[in-house]
Amino acid sequence: MATDMSAPLYVEGLCKNYPSFRLKEVSFALERGKITGFIGRNGAGKTTTINSVLSLVKPDAGTVLFSGLSDAEHSREIREKIGFVSAGMTYYTRKKLRTITGITKTFYPGWDDSAYRKHMEAFGLDEEKTPAELSNGMKIKYALALALSHGADLLILDEPTSGLDPISREELVEVFLKLRDMGKTVFFSTHITSDLEKCADRILFLQKGEVKADEDLNAFREGYRILECEGEIPAGVKEKARGICRVRDGYTVLLPAAETGTENTREATLEEIMVHLEKEGEDA
Amino acid sequence: MKLLKKEFSLCMHPTGYIMLATTLLVLVPGYPYAVSCFYMGLAIFFICLTARENHDASYTLTLPVSREEAVTARVLMCCCLEIVQLVLIGVMILVKNAIGQVPNPAGIDAGVALMGDCLITFAIFNLIFFPMYYRDINKPGKAFVVATVAVFAWIVLSIVGTYTIPFFRDVLDRPDPAYMRDKLLFDLGALALYIGGTALAARKSVRKFEETDLQL
Repeated sequence: MATDMSAPLYVEGLCKNYPSFRLKEVSFALERGKITGFIGRNGAGKTTTINSVLSLVKPDAGTVLFSGLSDAEHSREIREKIGFVSAGMTYYTRKKLRTITGITKTFYPGWDDSAYRKHMEAFGLDEEKTPAELSNGMKIKYALALALSHGADLLILDEPTSGLDPISREELVEVFLKLRDMGKTVFFSTHITSDLEKCADRILFLQKGEVKADEDLNAFREGYRILECEGEIPAGVKEKARGICRVRDGYTVLLPAAETGTENTREATLEEIMVHLEKEGEDA
Repeated sequence: MKLLKKEFSLCMHPTGYIMLATTLLVLVPGYPYAVSCFYMGLAIFFICLTARENHDASYTLTLPVSREEAVTARVLMCCCLEIVQLVLIGVMILVKNAIGQVPNPAGIDAGVALMGDCLITFAIFNLIFFPMYYRDINKPGKAFVVATVAVFAWIVLSIVGTYTIPFFRDVLDRPDPAYMRDKLLFDLGALALYIGGTALAARKSVRKFEETDLQL
């Protein structure tokens, strides 16, 4: 359960019901100046959570506070301090970046033109281009440049690396790390866990609309071990398993580190933990 | 004002300006002139359709603005276009009268009463289109079809009325300056309907939009 109500983003008991999906009492609090990876398979509820947090969808229950302020009463102040970037979304594809920026900046009293120029140059962006002429990675960078130029302290990124090639993803991960160095809080939803291995400080794991883990990345990873089995799974292992996956030569079994030694097991990657826990959820 | 500027800079579809040229239809003999207002409705539909394709709502709602302000700005922009359309129709009426006009067999003549006819057409469109559109901004087509049916029902009524309804036939459809006081009163009533109807449409639209979950 989240406790720090003054956190950059504090969410308590967030619920949203759709006919075929339910977000169940989602609670968490982001740590200031850290990158929090928001993971879960497609359809786990990551985007619904983000949309609810941003009031794009109306939650059925729950509390959302941004640095202690509620969106209902301080919507304007909050939006001046957050930046939202989504990979699937490209605004006004045929308008020049110069035009979009020219309009966007009028809404932010704290807009910093020199910061904007600096970010555009650092990201290699040309204002005379339109979003339609940018690669997906460059579109994300442009959205980040806008967010950073209006002084956003909290960046909410919905699947920003989806659909990008490994080089572009690597570049973006470096950008996120720079943002953290600048003291920004980054909330980064993705199902590409390898990106988070490189940059996340904390992990929030959502499964079927429920928070299954909310902890430090290293602690989360150290909480599990992988047992590789060639052929059959040894007796007594299945009972302790938190998910079993079929691989080419046998099985991999996710085991709680507390219940197994380091002998015959190895460290689990974030992806392995997520995939095995999902398998466990499906089997249950 | 910032949002209105954003609407014109980022959301305006070229048809918003192109359809202003349909006011030239007022110069065509024997034409139902209020149809020119339907074309502006078509432009408004294109604006809303393009806004959907450009993810305008998600852009706008992450700005420090409320949903109410976002709706008001869109309705205001459309009203600006409608008012310019109306002014141009007024200019065309003056031109038509200057070059000498013959009675229009397809509805109200190009005169003072036509302005009221057009205001009612816009009022009907706004009253139906905007609240339906803001119930689900991903389906502007549905709102447009329903609003268009209502607009054409009014246009047909006003054409048929020039043959069957005494007030239309004997007052509104008479060449100016006959019955000028009655025609001006009709225009004033139509203006009140336009302002009141559009304000009501905006209020209903805000309420619908505030209840809506945006599927982005």
